[in-house]
Amino acid sequence: MSHDVMIDLQQVNKFYRGQKAPVVENMSMTIQQGEIIVLVGPSGCGKTTTMKMINRLIEPSSGRILIDGTDVTALDGNDLRRQIGYVIQQVGLFPHMSVATNVGLVPKMLGWDRKRIEARADELLHLVGLEPAIYRNRLPRQLSGGQQQRVGVARALAADPPVMLMDEPFGATDPMTRDRLQNEFLRLQEQLRKTIVFVTHDFDEAIKMGTRIAVLGERSKIRQFDTPENLLASPADSTVAQFIGRGARLKQLDLRRVDAIAWEDIPLIQPDKAANGAKRQLEQTEGSSALTVDADNRPLRWVNADDLTADAGALDGAAGQTVTTVEPQATLRDALDAMLASRDGAAVVVDEHGRYAGTVTLDGLMQVIHHTPERGAPGSGVPDQRSGVAPAAELTPEQR
Amino acid sequence: MTFLEYLQSRRELLLAQTLEHATIVLMSVALATVIGVLIALWTYRNPRARAVATGMAAAMLTIPSFALLGLLIAPLGLGYTPTLVALTMYALLPILRNTIVGLSEIDPALTEAARGIGMSRLRSLATVEIPLSWPVILTGIRVSTQMTMGIAAIGAYVGGPGLGNQIFSGLANLGGVNSLNQALVGTLGVIVLALTVDFALALLGKLTQAGQRPKLFRPRPARRPTLTPSTAVPSPSLGGRE
Repeated sequence: MSHDVMIDLQQVNKFYRGQKAPVVENMSMTIQQGEIIVLVGPSGCGKTTTMKMINRLIEPSSGRILIDGTDVTALDGNDLRRQIGYVIQQVGLFPHMSVATNVGLVPKMLGWDRKRIEARADELLHLVGLEPAIYRNRLPRQLSGGQQQRVGVARALAADPPVMLMDEPFGATDPMTRDRLQNEFLRLQEQLRKTIVFVTHDFDEAIKMGTRIAVLGERSKIRQFDTPENLLASPADSTVAQFIGRGARLKQLDLRRVDAIAWEDIPLIQPDKAANGAKRQLEQTEGSSALTVDADNRPLRWVNADDLTADAGALDGAAGQTVTTVEPQATLRDALDAMLASRDGAAVVVDEHGRYAGTVTLDGLMQVIHHTPERGAPGSGVPDQRSGVAPAAELTPEQR
Repeated sequence: MTFLEYLQSRRELLLAQTLEHATIVLMSVALATVIGVLIALWTYRNPRARAVATGMAAAMLTIPSFALLGLLIAPLGLGYTPTLVALTMYALLPILRNTIVGLSEIDPALTEAARGIGMSRLRSLATVEIPLSWPVILTGIRVSTQMTMGIAAIGAYVGGPGLGNQIFSGLANLGGVNSLNQALVGTLGVIVLALTVDFALALLGKLTQAGQRPKLFRPRPARRPTLTPSTAVPSPSLGGRE
């Protein structure tokens, strides 16, 4: 086993007395250090139970769970939980304790001294974007829902645990706050590189947050375990496809950025160039359109041969079509939007100074969508409901 | 002899009896609190155990106080002990029931969060669940105190201490010189004492209200905040917020 495996579930089962069918059946999953693994599935599929077995809020009936190589069942449950961050949907801040006291609970149980706890609480509040001087002594009910969940995340991070479990952490907030919390958390994660198990029933959230996503069915059976890109490109069976919902292709566009695909070059017409020369250039390249640019290479307008003949003298004038631009960091969905707004189905990519860098076209976009790694692995892309075989989970995770 | 003259002449005796009365009530309530909270902690998660516990406490409450005191003479004799035992039995129900209600009304998300961050059961009870249900528990304590104040007077029937002795001797000498004064001073004394203690408990409730900068259950003494008027001065009403 390579040493950057952080969490390893080995044939974990959970039975409850009096129930014939197990809640979780033969669950095996390997999670690498620094990944955000999203468990997604319909309610009652056992995803929360699976997550809670990792910190033994629920004891597994059989199987092994290793964290960083140590079998968790060998540890004292409370000690174990102090080393694993835990965030829940209802936040669960203790209403009679100040924000700083809430954040400092785990360090306190670990026996840190008072000074260090206070400093740590301030540091964490700062990290999650709450000014310590203002919020430290507030009570939870004096905070908005979004602020409370920030404190919840800070409390989970207090003792700097390598592993975090998050149970629909942003599920109770309104869509705008949720979006902001998700973005902030992703930014935080780039810094912290925690290993995170994230439970949600919202597939769009799964796509946004997950390094890899495990789509779970009944009894926590893994239907597919793969990167968001692969999941969208080739759902393993019709149930997964159904779960992904409509617009899988459009969702794929959200995952990729303009700088991740190949740009095309189009003829540029410099302002000092004569109209005739420009026309000849257009005819030679057999392209239908060219882009006029200013002295700094900033795109001005789209022109074609007709524009040039009709008004040969007005190259820098009003002839041609307006240009829609995108920056390299924009998502492909933004690029698509820009293309649809332009007559030629192309969006111009500009750098941060607004200078021409290339163009992306609908054709290019189509290619990207259809070239998203389709794997030759057995079962991939082929509905295989009968046996319910999930494609091999060991497929190389392609980092976004 | 007028009422005031009577008060004046028996000042020391009356004071002693008032103190005795207060002491036995507070002792029995304290005992009942310990027993009631323990039984509540033991039973509140199990619906059947909970029903048995509250049922038995409620049954004890229905026994007429005269009868209970009389019955206790056989095993415990006369005097202080049977009174204390009887009062504790009566004080048990409100405290037990309120503690159970208080504990089971705590948001399950909080107990789950407490477990999830690695609190032991004991720590979760001591730092989260009991402090949060404290206002409800305290209300039970106040009800018990009020109730036992009156019942304690009957304790004098089995030789118990307190203001009941005034009432009983007044009733025994009906028509005598001071009989009215005695009955009156006993009754009024119990009422005044009850109101005073209830006021003190209400004040305690204000000072220990969870979520209002709690003072008794603050995990560690932080920098002393200046007392704001709302916490330093109790509102004139005895009821408080409960």
